[in-house]
Amino acid sequence: MLLQAIVNGILFGAVYGTIGIGFSLVWGVMNIINLAHGSFIMIGAYLSYTFYISYGIDPFLSIPIVMFILFIIGYSIQRFLLNLVVRGSIFITLTFTFGLQILIANVCLLLWKADFRSINLPYSSVSLSLGGAVIPLVRFGIFIVAVILTLLFYVFMKRTKVGLAISATAQNYEGAKVVGVNVRNIYSITMGVSAALAGVSGALIIPIMSINPFIGGSLVGKAFVISVLGGLASTFGALAGGLVLALVETIGTIIIPSSFQNLLGFVVLVLVLVFMPQGLLGKRTYNE
Amino acid sequence: MISNKDNNIILYGKKVTKTFGALRAVWNVDFKVKKNEIFGIIGPNGAGKTTLLSMINGTLHVTSGEIYYKDRNITNMQTHKIAELGISRTFQVVKPFPGMTLLENVSIGALFGKDKITNVREAQDKTRHILSRLNLIKKENVPVENLNVSERKRLELARALAMDPEMMLLDEVMAGSSTSDLEMIMGLIEELNNEGKTILLIEHVMKAIMSISHRIMVLHHGEKIAEDKPENISKNEKVISAYLGSRYAKMSWGNA
Amino acid sequence: MNRKLITLIILLALFIIFPFILTGFWVRFITNIFLFAILASALNIISGFTGYAAFGNMVFFGVGAYTVAVLMNKLSFSFLSSFIFAGLISILLALLLGILLLRLKGHYFALGTLGAAEAIKYIIDNLTDLTGGGQGITIPSLHGSPVFINSFFYFFMFILLIIIVLFTWWLSRSRLGYALKAIRANEEAAGVMGINTTVYKIIAWTLSGLFTGLTGAVYAYWFSYIDPPTVFDVMWVVRMFVIILLGGAGTVLGPVIGAFILESLSELVWSKFLNLHLGILGTLIIITVLIIPNGIMSLTNTGKGLKGVLESIKKSRDNAL
Repeated sequence: MLLQAIVNGILFGAVYGTIGIGFSLVWGVMNIINLAHGSFIMIGAYLSYTFYISYGIDPFLSIPIVMFILFIIGYSIQRFLLNLVVRGSIFITLTFTFGLQILIANVCLLLWKADFRSINLPYSSVSLSLGGAVIPLVRFGIFIVAVILTLLFYVFMKRTKVGLAISATAQNYEGAKVVGVNVRNIYSITMGVSAALAGVSGALIIPIMSINPFIGGSLVGKAFVISVLGGLASTFGALAGGLVLALVETIGTIIIPSSFQNLLGFVVLVLVLVFMPQGLLGKRTYNE
Repeated sequence: MISNKDNNIILYGKKVTKTFGALRAVWNVDFKVKKNEIFGIIGPNGAGKTTLLSMINGTLHVTSGEIYYKDRNITNMQTHKIAELGISRTFQVVKPFPGMTLLENVSIGALFGKDKITNVREAQDKTRHILSRLNLIKKENVPVENLNVSERKRLELARALAMDPEMMLLDEVMAGSSTSDLEMIMGLIEELNNEGKTILLIEHVMKAIMSISHRIMVLHHGEKIAEDKPENISKNEKVISAYLGSRYAKMSWGNA
Repeated sequence: MNRKLITLIILLALFIIFPFILTGFWVRFITNIFLFAILASALNIISGFTGYAAFGNMVFFGVGAYTVAVLMNKLSFSFLSSFIFAGLISILLALLLGILLLRLKGHYFALGTLGAAEAIKYIIDNLTDLTGGGQGITIPSLHGSPVFINSFFYFFMFILLIIIVLFTWWLSRSRLGYALKAIRANEEAAGVMGINTTVYKIIAWTLSGLFTGLTGAVYAYWFSYIDPPTVFDVMWVVRMFVIILLGGAGTVLGPVIGAFILESLSELVWSKFLNLHLGILGTLIIITVLIIPNGIMSLTNTGKGLKGVLESIKKSRDNAL
């Protein structure tokens, strides 16, 4: 039973990892807590849902399209809206992204109504067996995609010109400007990438979770915990944070009565914030 | 060895060290400051001068070493407690409180500095005297965001002064000042010294700091390379080497 | 100055007369505005003045409400004594949470308080014997005619509001206020100038929690039934933040004016369009941040009317990249 919980935790933890990467990217680069990140995940999930229900496209296959659409959405929101408030106080940015969040939630509510949506893939009952633990094919696929994405992101940040520019801007905003980085553009690209990652996370969770327009809030809560756990400047830190949170949740299901499970995430959060502010692997934020 | 019994010393540091990972910002620096003296600190950029000042006033923790003020161990004491002891400090990059007027900014010093004045009106009256001294009285109700560079520098000085300190740590208060401002600030520093205050100052304006300091300490790559009267400092081979390179030093020393 | 004072006095007189000339609906409507004005003013102390965005402030509201509920329902306390207890418990909770969380800065503090609030909500949810858990708990209601009841809560909230507004007015001129403003402006520099930031932050947080808790206490008595999802709903705090944003953070009357605007719009305009409610609120937030990020009270500096708004938009460019 414990083994199954661990396996489940690892499989799902990778998705938490991608959620954390996207969220902490914006936080680390622009010092914004994007409360709308949850709604980006939600859009990804709903898009994937619609592609499957209306056109029969498997969620795994619609990932590139979802990424592309979310990139455009994220880029535009940053370029035309968020760039106008990004240097304000946390009061301002927090409230602004919250406004964005509920606006998007309302749009999703109008388009897809409030009922819970889920999809059941035809191969959802196929599973592998590994030493007593059951590994459903779907969850395994999700795990693989999430890990591949993490690696791709890592390469993107370390090896591409854009990725390096993003890192440079995060570490030294003024310095980056001086060497010719177009910060406005970089910020917009950063949000685009973040939204794309969120979109993928959504596409990855729709096969195994049911969604409604209001899950954004709790998703952001988790994103925050994952980012704090993993530290802000580290891709693999976010992955580690995701794995830890997922394991805490799955193992917690066995040990702790169900009523206290949600509490668990928050206890972990407060403990980490107070005792381990630099996270598991990463450095602290560049500017708080 | 530094003697605790020498009651002429108001501030001393023993092997004060600050490292950031592998970077040695300040390394094993001993220093003694006499009561009522003007003590200058110079050195090339990155020498660790501001870091040292920050450790004295509590903004940064020491990695190792000790700092004593009036025989009291103030190493790693909280900044507000150090302020209450009568030590005030200016910042190289001026940090006024935005959203408040000039008068309000400076009166914070009077309200919370050594004297801890409880009445706001009284604090503001006291503040006005200081503003007059620094030629800022006309701008007392201007929001600080609207002040020019010279005024901001003087604001920083005024705030530190409003705390009624016994010892002032001045970090490049003269940087970028016009000639008239420079003369005014130098005159003010000497006046304050005559009133009994001990002053530590970091400066790059060589002529100024050499002329008003009683003694000078030179830092280079975080280490102290000299501590002496100004006239001896300018002839010190290590100092010249640090600023201008060893070949020049050998040349001028050879000719001295 | 005199003109302002006269306007205030006239308004005050009007508010005193209102319960006797308006219908029950309007009396309750205005009472609701008072409620939000107090909540926003309380949040203003820790967030507007001190700059610590307490995203979990509704924890005090819920705890205050539950203190009254449990004491009146289970132990037959009177409202007045329960009210006082609610205040004491809020102070205790604020001290406890403050010591734990005020060492955090910025975003960490904001979401840390949210985490703590959620934790307390779940604790209360699970103390079923004491609190009724998810079923909620009823509070013995005030006896009397509907008019009496409406007026009672109207004036109770009104007095609470006057108290907190007067306190905020005093705060803006006092030494404590200066310390808080300095902390908000630059906490490091505040410490260098002799301000014991920890002590002052705890004072601000405790005052904020106290008023929020007392308001929750009255709310419980007013509505006669509460449950954890309602009183610990994060939307309470969201509304408080939006109100402060609209009115002006760190101002005396900002939260009051903001409350009037938000609650009026909410009740009179959006209630017709229930399924657009969130979207309209979201759009309002976005527009407010873009045009008047310092709130309506800041227009008194830049000038009212179109020119003032244009000035404000120009100033909001400071927030842009």
